[in-house]
Amino acid sequence: MRTVLRAFSRLYPMAKRWLKRFPGGVYPSYRKELSLRHPCHDPIIPDELVLPLQQHVGAPAVPLVTVGERVRKFQRLAKPAPGLSAPVHAPTSGLIKAIEKRPLPHPSGLPDWCIVIEPDHEDEAGEMPIEIETPTCPTSLKQMILQAGIVGMGGAGFPSWRKLPQKKGQVHTLLLNGAECEPYITCDDMLMQTRAEEIIRGACTIAACIGAEKIIVGIEDNKPRALAAMQQAAEGRGVEIQSVPTVYPMGGQKQLTEQLTGIEIPAGAHAVDVGLLMFNVATVAAIHHASEYHQPLISRMVTVTGEGLNDPMNIEALLGTPFATLAALADPKTELNYPLIMGGPMMGFEVPDPTVPVIKTTNCILANPPQPVEPAMPCIRCGECMEACPVNLLPQQMYWHAHAHEWDKVEKLNLFDCIECGCCSFVCPSHIPLVQYYRHAKGEIRKLREEQAFQEHARRRHEAHLARLEREKQEKEARLQAKKAAVKKQAAQQTPASSATPSARQRAIEAAKKRAQQEAGGASTSSAADKRKAAMEAARKRAAAARGSQDKSTDTTAEAKAQRKQAAQAAAKAKAAALKAQKTAQQSQQTGATEQQSPRKAAMEAAKRRAQALKAKKQAQTGENSEKTAPNTDQETAEKTGPQKNGGTPMATTPEAADSAQSSPPSAEARRKAAMAAARKRAAALRAKKQQESES
Amino acid sequence: MISAVVIFIALAALFGLLLGYAAVRFRVEAPPVVEEIDKVLPQIQCGQCGYPGCKPYAEAVAHGEAINKCTPGGEAVMLKIAEILGVEPQPMAEGEEAEKSRMVAFIHEQDCIGCMHCIKACPVDAIVGTTKAVHTVIAQECTGCELCVPVCPTDCIEMQPLPETPRNWIWPDPEKVIPTVIPKLESPHP
Amino acid sequence: MNPWPPHSAPFMHTNTSVTQVMLRVQIASILPLVVHIYFFGWGIAVQWILAMLTGLVVEYAMLHLRGRPVKPFLLDGSAVITVTGLTFCIPPESPWWLIVLGVSFALIFGKHLYGGLGFNPFNPAMLGYAFLLVSFPAEMTQWTLPSAVSGHTLSMTESLIKIFTGHLPASIMDQVTGATPLDHVKTGLTQGIGVPETLNNAQTIWHGVAGHGWIQVNLAFMLGGLYLLWTRTIRWQYPVGFLGALGLMAAIFHAIDPNQYPPVLFHLLSGGTMLAAFFIITDPVTASTTPLGRLIYAAGIGVLVYIIRTWGGYPDGIAFAVLLMNIFVPLIDQYTQPRVKGHPR
Repeated sequence: MRTVLRAFSRLYPMAKRWLKRFPGGVYPSYRKELSLRHPCHDPIIPDELVLPLQQHVGAPAVPLVTVGERVRKFQRLAKPAPGLSAPVHAPTSGLIKAIEKRPLPHPSGLPDWCIVIEPDHEDEAGEMPIEIETPTCPTSLKQMILQAGIVGMGGAGFPSWRKLPQKKGQVHTLLLNGAECEPYITCDDMLMQTRAEEIIRGACTIAACIGAEKIIVGIEDNKPRALAAMQQAAEGRGVEIQSVPTVYPMGGQKQLTEQLTGIEIPAGAHAVDVGLLMFNVATVAAIHHASEYHQPLISRMVTVTGEGLNDPMNIEALLGTPFATLAALADPKTELNYPLIMGGPMMGFEVPDPTVPVIKTTNCILANPPQPVEPAMPCIRCGECMEACPVNLLPQQMYWHAHAHEWDKVEKLNLFDCIECGCCSFVCPSHIPLVQYYRHAKGEIRKLREEQAFQEHARRRHEAHLARLEREKQEKEARLQAKKAAVKKQAAQQTPASSATPSARQRAIEAAKKRAQQEAGGASTSSAADKRKAAMEAARKRAAAARGSQDKSTDTTAEAKAQRKQAAQAAAKAKAAALKAQKTAQQSQQTGATEQQSPRKAAMEAAKRRAQALKAKKQAQTGENSEKTAPNTDQETAEKTGPQKNGGTPMATTPEAADSAQSSPPSAEARRKAAMAAARKRAAALRAKKQQESES
Repeated sequence: MISAVVIFIALAALFGLLLGYAAVRFRVEAPPVVEEIDKVLPQIQCGQCGYPGCKPYAEAVAHGEAINKCTPGGEAVMLKIAEILGVEPQPMAEGEEAEKSRMVAFIHEQDCIGCMHCIKACPVDAIVGTTKAVHTVIAQECTGCELCVPVCPTDCIEMQPLPETPRNWIWPDPEKVIPTVIPKLESPHP
Repeated sequence: MNPWPPHSAPFMHTNTSVTQVMLRVQIASILPLVVHIYFFGWGIAVQWILAMLTGLVVEYAMLHLRGRPVKPFLLDGSAVITVTGLTFCIPPESPWWLIVLGVSFALIFGKHLYGGLGFNPFNPAMLGYAFLLVSFPAEMTQWTLPSAVSGHTLSMTESLIKIFTGHLPASIMDQVTGATPLDHVKTGLTQGIGVPETLNNAQTIWHGVAGHGWIQVNLAFMLGGLYLLWTRTIRWQYPVGFLGALGLMAAIFHAIDPNQYPPVLFHLLSGGTMLAAFFIITDPVTASTTPLGRLIYAAGIGVLVYIIRTWGGYPDGIAFAVLLMNIFVPLIDQYTQPRVKGHPR
């Protein structure tokens, strides 16, 4: 059947599409032979290594070194941030020259934080940062891969540890991706030719750890030498080497998975969910290095090729080596006054600056003099794009809506299943940059989603803010009422200043303390609206209690006190509930966005402390005020709490003022101390935040 | 003649009953309009509409306030509200602003005297600080309402766009990059 | 040093272009043109040149008026396809203003007023044809007979005289023009003459199959269409769906009553069947784009063509069938979207 189709494909080239299992695909002109003319180039140590903190999908790593420090080879330079992240290690020994923003190999061309090393060319190795001796289970393998800083080296850059299953036996087949479907790129080909043994052994290690029964390696049939080398290495190890038809994008994870196993990974699911796991051969080789020699990922095979170079080659390049250095090694035909491309011509991107460094995902540096960009013609709905699409999308209709900025409609056409392989743009007779439309649409949709989430967040924060204002107002009123009641009572009882009953303010402080305790321990899930109601209810109760105490102050002080205490407790409980609700609301909002958790937590901590400090400060102020100008304060309060006064005349006589003044100094001192402590904590939080900012 | 009249009256009665029954049986509870409007408002809480926040404005709009007062939301939000309420769109008071990136407040700390004014003004509690200590803005929480800018006695608060990083960068619209003979959407057909 | 902001991958291309696609269609139509000239005389060549010139002028004027770049759109060749398609549809010896009007209408109302290339919902050539057919029915049904039938081959000069002045000796005119085979069958039926009888008696019918000359032109169109299929310029769903549906309809009704309904081959090889199957309905701009949708679209045209030919007022119904199905394209596209990988059906 295959031979018949192959013969037929001479007559009708597109018959080749029927040779494989997934739909679509294109046949660009392959120029892999360019970089396969020579064996691997000798490794070099450049004069400067630039190591971006983010070489992977997820959160950027957190630097552990300072400028001027001497580092040794393999030393960990940056630790992974919490969540999805990967560490960065020193590729060679040298001095940390700078930690600064440098242009990244990223399509945006924007600079980001990098650690710059000036190598001392001694290449002195330090201690290996990998603690796991030999991984035996998925967890230890995960640990090891994380410590080694290994990410998907086929170009995706997804931290590999995250792809592993949780339990042994969850994955039945381990797939190795050696398809390398991009025209021009040969780094995996070269790797398989020269280090087949390592790849096979690495695969066996992984399979043993995760309990996979089968290992299949998929290699395109345009790499006979790699196929032979891998077959030889796999002999007797139970590893199946499968030759797959040459078609772009055979190297796509879902495409190769379907080709090798016939299993279609459902949209939105991961390969692990259907019992499969796929790694690029380069990733597997790196994992082997980590498990066998405990080496972190510090270098990778890079193809340096293109029509603009005399001596295209493959080289095991240290991470951080500038593109220009490598391109210069390959003897450019003309001055490299055109943008270099990272990756292949189908999915790569132009880099903004030739000095950008090799990162963990750099599989190829392509120096192709740019072709003139054909102007885009209108879409003639020819449907070529649809037949080329390996995911069966309708690129032409998606383009139509993306062009009209109808993002919801594009999304409905399953935009997010697009793998951005570029087949549609490749075949478009109208030269429409379809992929860029989809990339733009994806970005816009993500932005819209983020904005919506932020709006929701802001709304909740505003509600919390209003609730807080309300609460503070009520508290203040309650405090004033209590104080007035105390004053009245004292006046009525004509007892000496230092009576057994604690002053109203002290009680308020006590209540606040209790509240703070409950804040930490209480548990509730009431909604924001409920909490506001509860706060109001409590406030009303408090006010009633205060009024009650005013009325009855002449006879039953004890009862009034108890009432007041109860009210205060109720208020405290309500407030605690409110705070809890607010917190849970905030937390529930950050669904899984773990990388944002720490700054937000810090912010919340700071906010809490701030609130405490504010309260303490206010109380201190009132204390001071009453100390200095007691009558004034009362006048003020009289103005503020006009209707609630219940006709009780402000009895601001000197003895009471003196009393409150006497009782305040020690507590004021304590409060000030608390405020200082809070300020210190806040400053720490601020520093933490700043550091976070500087890292990001 | 009479039979025709009778038939039509019977028919009218029948359909009337049917319609009446359907109206009761398949009654759709109208969604709470205030919530709907509040959802489309940008939640910046800037108060430029003359109300103390987005929710109060949503309530006011539901009770007949003009729908074109949300300046940050611009025409897009106005159109959405018009759709929710089923009313005619009203032109925005000022000229439509060009699309701009999200702005956040930034406090120049050397000038901050720790007066707490901005903290009180912030509708989402996004400013941290205490008396006589330098304040700062939690950029992730700032809605860019600019309410803190005028209250600062030392004019040390400045609105700055969120910095563009490789993480929040998105691919530009190809129509702005690649020469095309396809008419741009914005340009009217000549 | 870089062009910034960036444009996205891929940085390679298959080297196809709209012009190339249109050029292939043009190449494929050379053979039918030659066969047509051989059987029906030079009239079509004159009409074609006339139509091309008109098309060029109209395109230039419209692009200029609409403020569009003239060169890329003039070179895209889409107007040429429209013009060629229309030329094959009108009688070769019709007066010159007919084709000029038709082409102008097709390009101005069928294409440019909708926004130009890629934006027209209706097939411009068929729109032009329908416009001519309803406006000038007399001129549109005066078909030249194949020279083998009439026994007289119009020379180039005679064709030119006929087209531009309309004055030819009446004797020649009566001799060279007449009804098409489809017309013959239809008028025969109204006069109570059965289909087999017409097919056997009419001198225009070739071996009792279909019209003399028409068969050869149709076969030439098919060959050209196969070239287009091989170069992947058109999709197989169009001819298969169209011819399949038309053939099936013909087969069913012929089986029911052979006296009333002509056989399958007659339908497939007369009128503009093959022209439509490979050149008209394959216009991607106005056709459905999903694989299943194309089949449905083409089959719908096939059924409609049969209905109009058999029971309609016009001898051939391709133009109306195409225009009617054009209306349904958005609907078909909406409901025939293919299953995206990884999604349940």
